[in-house]
Amino acid sequence: MSSGVAVDLQDMWIKFGDFVAVRDANVHINGGDFFSFLGGSGCGKTTILRAVSGFLEPADGKILIGGNDMKGKGPNERPTALIFQNLALFPLMKVWENITFSMEVRGASAGERRKRADELLDMIALSDQGDKLPSELSGGQKQRVAIARALCAEPDVLLLDEPLSALDLGLRHHMRTELREIQKRVGITFIYITHDQGEALTMSDNVAVMRTAVIDQIGSGKSVYDDPSTSFVASFVGMNNMFRGKVKSISKGQALVETNRTGNLLARITTGATGKLAVGDDAMVFIRPEGLHIAEKSAKSNTRIKANVRHSEFEGTSYNVFLEGDAGKEMKMSLVNRGEARLYEPGAELTLQFDATQAVVVPAGELASE
Amino acid sequence: MIKQPLYIRIGLALYLFMFFTYLIGPLILMSITAFNSASFPQITPWEVLTFEWFPKLFSDDRILRGLKYSLYVGFFTVILSVSMGLAGALMLTQIWPKLRSTYYTIIIAPILVPGVVIGISTLVFWAEINRILGFSADSYLQNGIFLSVLGQSTFIASYCMLVFVARLQRYDTGLTEAALDLGATHLQAFRRIQLPFLAPAMASSSVLAFLASFENYNTTIFTHQKFATLTIVLSQKVRYGIDPTISALAFIIVCLTVLGALIHEVRTRRVQLALANGAPVGAVTGGFKAPKFFAGNPAAVVLGLFVGAAVLIIGFAQVYDPAPAKQAYTDQKRAIQKKAIEAIQQKARDKVRERQMKGPKVFETKKGTGTGSPGKDSFGSVFKPNNLDEAAGTKKKKPVGVNPGKGAFGNIWKSDNLDKVAPKEKGN
Amino acid sequence: MLTNYFKTNGMVMGWGLLLLVFFWIVILIILPQIYMFNLSFHPHLPPPEMGGPKDFLTLENYRYLVFGADGNPDGYNKVDLLVFIRTLTAAAFVTILDLFLCYPIAYYLGQSTGGGFVRILVLLLIIPYWINEILRAFAFKIIFGDSGVINEFLMFFSVIDSPIDFIRANVALYAGLGYAYILLMIFPMYNVIESLDRNQIEAARDMGAPWWMIHKRIVIPYAKPGISSGCTMVFMLSAGALAAPQILGGPSSLWFTQLVYQWFNTGGNWPQASAYAIILLLACLVIVLSVMKLFKVNMGDIGK
Ligand SMILES: Nc1ncnc2c1ncn2[C@@H]1O[C@H](COP(=O)(O)OP(=O)(O)O)[C@@H](O)[C@H]1O
Ligand SMILES: [Mg+2]
Repeated sequence: MSSGVAVDLQDMWIKFGDFVAVRDANVHINGGDFFSFLGGSGCGKTTILRAVSGFLEPADGKILIGGNDMKGKGPNERPTALIFQNLALFPLMKVWENITFSMEVRGASAGERRKRADELLDMIALSDQGDKLPSELSGGQKQRVAIARALCAEPDVLLLDEPLSALDLGLRHHMRTELREIQKRVGITFIYITHDQGEALTMSDNVAVMRTAVIDQIGSGKSVYDDPSTSFVASFVGMNNMFRGKVKSISKGQALVETNRTGNLLARITTGATGKLAVGDDAMVFIRPEGLHIAEKSAKSNTRIKANVRHSEFEGTSYNVFLEGDAGKEMKMSLVNRGEARLYEPGAELTLQFDATQAVVVPAGELASE
Repeated sequence: MIKQPLYIRIGLALYLFMFFTYLIGPLILMSITAFNSASFPQITPWEVLTFEWFPKLFSDDRILRGLKYSLYVGFFTVILSVSMGLAGALMLTQIWPKLRSTYYTIIIAPILVPGVVIGISTLVFWAEINRILGFSADSYLQNGIFLSVLGQSTFIASYCMLVFVARLQRYDTGLTEAALDLGATHLQAFRRIQLPFLAPAMASSSVLAFLASFENYNTTIFTHQKFATLTIVLSQKVRYGIDPTISALAFIIVCLTVLGALIHEVRTRRVQLALANGAPVGAVTGGFKAPKFFAGNPAAVVLGLFVGAAVLIIGFAQVYDPAPAKQAYTDQKRAIQKKAIEAIQQKARDKVRERQMKGPKVFETKKGTGTGSPGKDSFGSVFKPNNLDEAAGTKKKKPVGVNPGKGAFGNIWKSDNLDKVAPKEKGN
Repeated sequence: MLTNYFKTNGMVMGWGLLLLVFFWIVILIILPQIYMFNLSFHPHLPPPEMGGPKDFLTLENYRYLVFGADGNPDGYNKVDLLVFIRTLTAAAFVTILDLFLCYPIAYYLGQSTGGGFVRILVLLLIIPYWINEILRAFAFKIIFGDSGVINEFLMFFSVIDSPIDFIRANVALYAGLGYAYILLMIFPMYNVIESLDRNQIEAARDMGAPWWMIHKRIVIPYAKPGISSGCTMVFMLSAGALAAPQILGGPSSLWFTQLVYQWFNTGGNWPQASAYAIILLLACLVIVLSVMKLFKVNMGDIGK
């Protein structure tokens, strides 16, 4: 098993004519990592992957794989294998021929190929399906054939372009674990593209969150969730209550923000935002629904919010309470179900509090649209 | 077509009937004349059923040579125009969007440019190239086959291009990329992935190109030089005097076309049926079971009938001997002719008598109206009834029925001529 | 840009494609036309004198079509001009004939659900198209000749007592030309009509529209690209036809292509033949393009 090969994007720009599809991307991917690009549709994820596999040449900057500059190398000269968004299985070839196509182009004998195909078919639990055509397989089976085909090429880096998006929900969850296990077994670098944050957070060692054409933050799943660098990341990853305002004062890594509708709120300045906020700047405070609680007497005024219950719903492990603050400000609160079953009546007046270390503040900026 | 009023349905049926009579009638009539022993292709008067025009056709050197040249030209035209059409179509998918419509206009234009224009321009251009290069007048650049191939390919490639474009629209370029990504070279990806996908289009554009080349007249008439293709030979025959060997050839071509069309139809229908039944195509195309083969496939039934009829006719031709009937017909005709001649002679005698009375003026007018002008209307005279007798007269001298024992068809269908003419049929 | 092209195709494939397309477009399509165009402005000379002092640019070959030879008493080249105009009008006539003949069948085929009967009809449509052009004309000669099927039939039933000269009356020619291009008229229309949503027609019928209204307001506007594509092809091909007029034309009905052929073959006058060919090409293009403009159809629809 190879120990995996690092991939580096250095100051990479990709353009289609005048249109900038990727702007100044800088990414370091550790060898053997399961690395995800997470972003909405059309933000340039596929474009990055195509540049790494060699279908596109960056307008500027470098792509290094295992430290080697890939400039001028075609897709057939790079140690990568791409699993296409639509899989791109060859419709006129049998499953086993599909899987061993990379050996065929290297001139391997039919016997050799058949043998390898059987091994890989075993691995993806399709042992006796080798002689079928791709059109005779189910969606999940096709998926696994595409993975086997890519692995058969023995790439140093496997690139996956939203491979699960075509599957139904149950299968998708199953394939998540399966993919992660395959990656652990073969030990090579996986670069995974998805617009589904659940996938990105559960599977990846590291995640790059993309806004249109730009990479906003790179880090572990936990860090992009708990410590977002930008307003976009904070609003894109997970559910968040957002409060606009101006920075009033800053101390000890925390900022007091005078919000437009909810009064003064105290929040932690995230690592990525450190040094980017000054008194008087426009800022955004984000508080997760699970960061809001029913206020205790001792709560300080700048970690307290008053709101009316609009409606609430019971979700088993938690209650979701939808609230309306001053001037119609909408909020959501999640309370863990600890047995003291309580659905708040619509109209009930509540005082909420939060922990200032769980609320984050970043400079005001673009939000992820719903 | 749900519930139309009766008069509309009757009108529609009538229209369909007339339309298809117009479409198919001429071909049937032409085919029938191949079996009439009259020396001009005609249905009426019907003389005697005969198969003699078929062996005659196959002993006609000019036709056989024309066929040979047609096959040469067709072969090279298929290769050139299919590859150019394919390249043109692939380029269309890649060319800069701004240039695309201009490019498309240029490569589609040869379809609309009159064939004579293409023929002339090809000829004068290559003659000039030949002159510039200082080659002799009979260099290969001036060779009729070379010029015909180039001239025909100019526009046939456009037809092929259209076929490929239609197919390519359904091609996922991701497949080529996937192959490249797996380490294939561009050539390998093309050969192993895109080409197999295009195979049906290759087949149909090859057939299309061959047929278009085979029947081309307008361009080839300018470019053929000494290599008169079958179509050119035919046109000369049709213009400067015809006999039913052309009908015989037409009959054969009609049959081959019908056969080809039926086979094609049967095959597509089988595939369709297989898909409709949810079975893999291989399961149906693999085994051949008669009832299944015909079921729900009218074309297959027609094909069966067609082949059956062909076997019957050929079998009949083996044993049929038109000589006695012909003899009877000639006797009868001779008797009629005798009477006619006597009548004419009688008239002539009368006229001589008249002329002697009225003077020479009448004789001149008579001459003018009688024969028409053979110079202007080269075939007109063939149609004139009195030529019939002349032709019939010459025929009498020839031995009738080439080989009565074996039947008239014998040497056509058994000699190696079959391979030259009907490569398609062999496969079946 | 070009590097991108070679990136998607690779060197071997890329050059192969480029060469083939270059050969087709430049060597086969453009250069011959340009050379022929150029030749049409030169006098008719024997090869040794070409490029010599007598070889100069001249409009003589074009002038000839309009005014005829020097010292022509008529002032105009009446014969050739008449042939030119007659060819174009006759081609237009054949086109219209085919349009009316084919529209109903295209509609019927396009709107039918495609049962076995319809498949056979389509086969029947295709078969005549693959029969040699010469043989198709020949068939019509058999039918329309003096002792052809129709004359014999009419005379047998004593409808007429001497054969009608269908050839001289151009009936045979029009029937033969119309016949030859039926398929080219039907298929473009059929392709478009087939994609017309049947519900539209049902809806119109539901609202009480009579059948002619349905065609006028729904089917024909929708089928316009197909109709113009078919008409363009039929017009260009019949105006450019050579075999059918040679075989089926009466002694007086010269087709313009026949003039081209005569200049070329009998006269051996290539520049003059080129000039006539150019005139034919330009006339056809002008007519087709203006009709397309009139009906607001663009070139991209041709050949679909
Ligand atoms: N070949 C191309 N030519 C021009 N624009 C393109 C091309 N491919 C992608 N784009 C544009 O680049 C942007 C990013 O596309 P893509 O990377 O496919 O997004 P996604 O993140 O959904 O995978 C989109 O706006 C798309 O329209
Ligand atoms: Mg994408």
